[in-house]
Amino acid sequence: MAEKGPLKISVKSLKSSGLSLEDVEMAIGRVAIEEEWEPMGPTPMPKIATLREWDMRLLNRYKPFYMPFCDLCCLCTYGKCDLSGGRRGACGIDIAAQQGRMVLLTWVIGAAAHTSHARHLLDHLIEKYGEDWPIDLGKEIHVEMPVTRLVTGIKPRTLGDLAYTLNYVEEQIIQTLSATHTGQEGSYLDFESKNLHVGMLDHVGMEVADVAQVVTYGFPKGDPDAPLTEIGMGIADLTKPIIFCIGHNVSSGVEIVDFMRRYGFGRPGEQIEVLGLCCTALDITRYDNQAKIVGPISHQLRFIRSGAADVLVISEQCIHTMVVKEAQRTKTPVIAASDKACYGLPDMTDKPVEEIVDTLVSGRQPGVLILDMEKVGAVAVLTAQKMAPVRKKFKTLPDDKNKNELAEHCINCGECRRICPIDLPIDEAVFAAKHGNFDKLTELYDKCLGCTSCESECPTDIPIHSLMVSAAESKVKTERHKIRIGRGPILDTEIREVGSPIVLGEIPGVIAYVGCANYPEGGRDVTIMAEEFLKRRYIVTASGCSAMSIALYRNEEGKSLYEEYKGYFDAGGLVNVGSCVANPHISGAAIKIASLFGKRKLRANYEEIADYVLNRVGACGVVWGAMSQKAASIASGYNRLGIPVILGPQGAKYRRLYLGRKEDRGCFEVFDARTGDKNWIGPAPEHLIYVAETREEAMVMTAKLCIRPNDTTKGRMIKLTHYTDLYKKFYGKLPEDLHLFVRTEADVPITIKGEIMEYLKDGGWKPWEVPTIDPTLLERLVRVKKKEE
Amino acid sequence: MSVTPWRRGNVPGSKIALKLTGEVAGKILKKAKNPVIIVGAEALKTKVGEELLIDYVIKIANLAKIPIVATANTLSAFLERNLKPALSMGSIEITDRLRDPEWSLDGSMPHEIAVYVGITYQLQSQLLSCLKIFAPHIKTIALDRYYHPNATWSFQNLSEENWIENLNVLVETLT
Repeated sequence: MAEKGPLKISVKSLKSSGLSLEDVEMAIGRVAIEEEWEPMGPTPMPKIATLREWDMRLLNRYKPFYMPFCDLCCLCTYGKCDLSGGRRGACGIDIAAQQGRMVLLTWVIGAAAHTSHARHLLDHLIEKYGEDWPIDLGKEIHVEMPVTRLVTGIKPRTLGDLAYTLNYVEEQIIQTLSATHTGQEGSYLDFESKNLHVGMLDHVGMEVADVAQVVTYGFPKGDPDAPLTEIGMGIADLTKPIIFCIGHNVSSGVEIVDFMRRYGFGRPGEQIEVLGLCCTALDITRYDNQAKIVGPISHQLRFIRSGAADVLVISEQCIHTMVVKEAQRTKTPVIAASDKACYGLPDMTDKPVEEIVDTLVSGRQPGVLILDMEKVGAVAVLTAQKMAPVRKKFKTLPDDKNKNELAEHCINCGECRRICPIDLPIDEAVFAAKHGNFDKLTELYDKCLGCTSCESECPTDIPIHSLMVSAAESKVKTERHKIRIGRGPILDTEIREVGSPIVLGEIPGVIAYVGCANYPEGGRDVTIMAEEFLKRRYIVTASGCSAMSIALYRNEEGKSLYEEYKGYFDAGGLVNVGSCVANPHISGAAIKIASLFGKRKLRANYEEIADYVLNRVGACGVVWGAMSQKAASIASGYNRLGIPVILGPQGAKYRRLYLGRKEDRGCFEVFDARTGDKNWIGPAPEHLIYVAETREEAMVMTAKLCIRPNDTTKGRMIKLTHYTDLYKKFYGKLPEDLHLFVRTEADVPITIKGEIMEYLKDGGWKPWEVPTIDPTLLERLVRVKKKEE
Repeated sequence: MSVTPWRRGNVPGSKIALKLTGEVAGKILKKAKNPVIIVGAEALKTKVGEELLIDYVIKIANLAKIPIVATANTLSAFLERNLKPALSMGSIEITDRLRDPEWSLDGSMPHEIAVYVGITYQLQSQLLSCLKIFAPHIKTIALDRYYHPNATWSFQNLSEENWIENLNVLVETLT
């Protein structure tokens, strides 16, 4: 069902006794227009419990594994309640349910952030382009918005339809949030079902946000050859005024670029530099690839402190909350452009542009709040232009002499390390610097998250972060790399090409590097992992901070991976889909494989499509730097769709995983849709969400989690080749669970067949009686009734 | 004197680890009926004096005859030292099994003591939390240099010298 509306009635002139109307326009709700693009599936706009049965099937195999961050509950005035030792809270809740509840709160925060971002952006775009603006993703994408179609049953035609879709998402987010109130849900499993529900909703909200900006702003519509742009701390031309945008909402950045184009400032980089950080950077470059990306979230404070920016524009999400104070240190005025992040700044939305610019340039206010995006564009450009000449002296990184002086104050107390979220040996590095050796500090530059907690803890007030950036000065200045701008959705033609080899296993997997930059040992790990799988001809996709981190390291040939590998959604392709909200293009690709290649009904048919993806599409997400609530809800959305996710070690702090146990054969039994028989299919995939301790473990697990029961013998052989090869490379021997994945001798990797067969036979392996089936968790999909029936 | 977690914010609640010394650790392990040591990848790069932590762990395991579970990619380092661990498994996966009172490495009696060492601090803390809350049948020992409040017993935050001293006492106690 497509929705149109509201219905508009224009009245030029109406006169009757006691009533006189002229030039009146009335809008009456929305009008539903039935468009049977496909018969309506079983679960349009699912509510909390609609897909509960599917969730329980998943949770029966992949049981919740809780690692409480805290043994207490402090959410109501009954508490604090101690839930350790089997105790229950005063409301009756136990610690398992409390973990599910806290996880739900976290996931809802994440989904709400994306969805409110979508709403803010969409309202702005409807105001600018009108609600009838078409959802046109080009000639090679006929199945637009697969996530939205699958979940809601709506085939959005216009921006107005997207607003209607968001109404559903917002309503459901509120419903699920309400379940966390005291005395509501009490079952940990039902909390988990709601977590999966929120994750699914999150992908709809994100899809709305990204498609809305793609169709209106003219971002690439799935262009595999989307251009390259620059990324890194060293990209800025310091001789020009610099506008620095931080956050996730691109609308302010677009208005900046538009103002420059309109009023003779040219494109970004010609007279004025437009730089961005975090996802808004990715999205500004999708609008104009002469804009540049400073880097992921870790680069935020270090770039502000460099003093390079002449004006700072913050939108929403992932903003360091010290941003205004930090900007003041280098006399950089701040423009806040979202009511979700006002930062105590005066609201000057209704003031004339000249007055706001004067307020900022004069320094009367450290920043202003402007909730009119066009005005943000004008003020940012004019302020940058005026500030640049007077800000030249604000270079704050310590010079060599200062560096030595600052390090002198280190008393080697170790407090900096104890506060570091990733336990970096900062203490050793600063103490070494005190003795003239800055090498260790330089090494930390690539690993540091840029949070500056170490500085707040230092008893002698050493500006440790600045010291580190200064120590790495030559690295900082030459940090200049290439990234392919976010291409957005995957083309239908690409899906048709790769659908078969993915489902049959001949393309060994689709890997998605997504999420934040809370890496245990720096972003280089993501580059290394991505390169490993690109060489092995997996399809590698990326979004958000991970997409940026991949670009920040050069390979042996001096190129970034984006220069080395094509942007096609095909074996050996590296696909940057875009910012966080572009994630549904990856989940959407899995859905389209089921729909376009698998010929499964798409419309409101969530359970069947997820069943298809779980059993047939060898996809795996890797959130190596998991930090935010948004990354958590993104992962949950992948999970409900049957896509496993691997988190970095910091992800353990999300406090819940879904783990399978390979020895538990009953959990890995599925129906054969051809016969109705239940068959054991091996632990494929073994886990639904998992934490890896090291990069090496993550790579081995990634290859393993791409194995699916539907693999053909050729496909399974290819997947096992990569799994065994990586296992041998990093673990030094053949995997001990190999027998669980080798169904017949034909599955065995040909290059080391003798070694594997000997190994298997020593372990008592025998060929499976039923090696290949048509796997499904859904009994209703069994096509042939049993004889006795 | 109270002990603060190595990560200051890592305050778990009402139940926190008892302070451990090398001697106490030795006595517990000597007395244990079916202990297990879980060894993480930090053991491959953490120094104990001139040795690597993994070598020290092997010494302890051999003396106390405790089976080793190698997590992540530590397996290859054990194999290079001609030692085949009882199991190679992800730190998450082995912790998942240990919370099950019916499970053990050899299928006999459940493990009543699990020693965790060499897993990156934040992850190890969460793993210990899981067992503290959901596995009342098992007690845990954290042998790293840093205080783990979620363990049953943990060393305090120690200087490298004090840590080595405690580990040496542990080895002596087991000898």
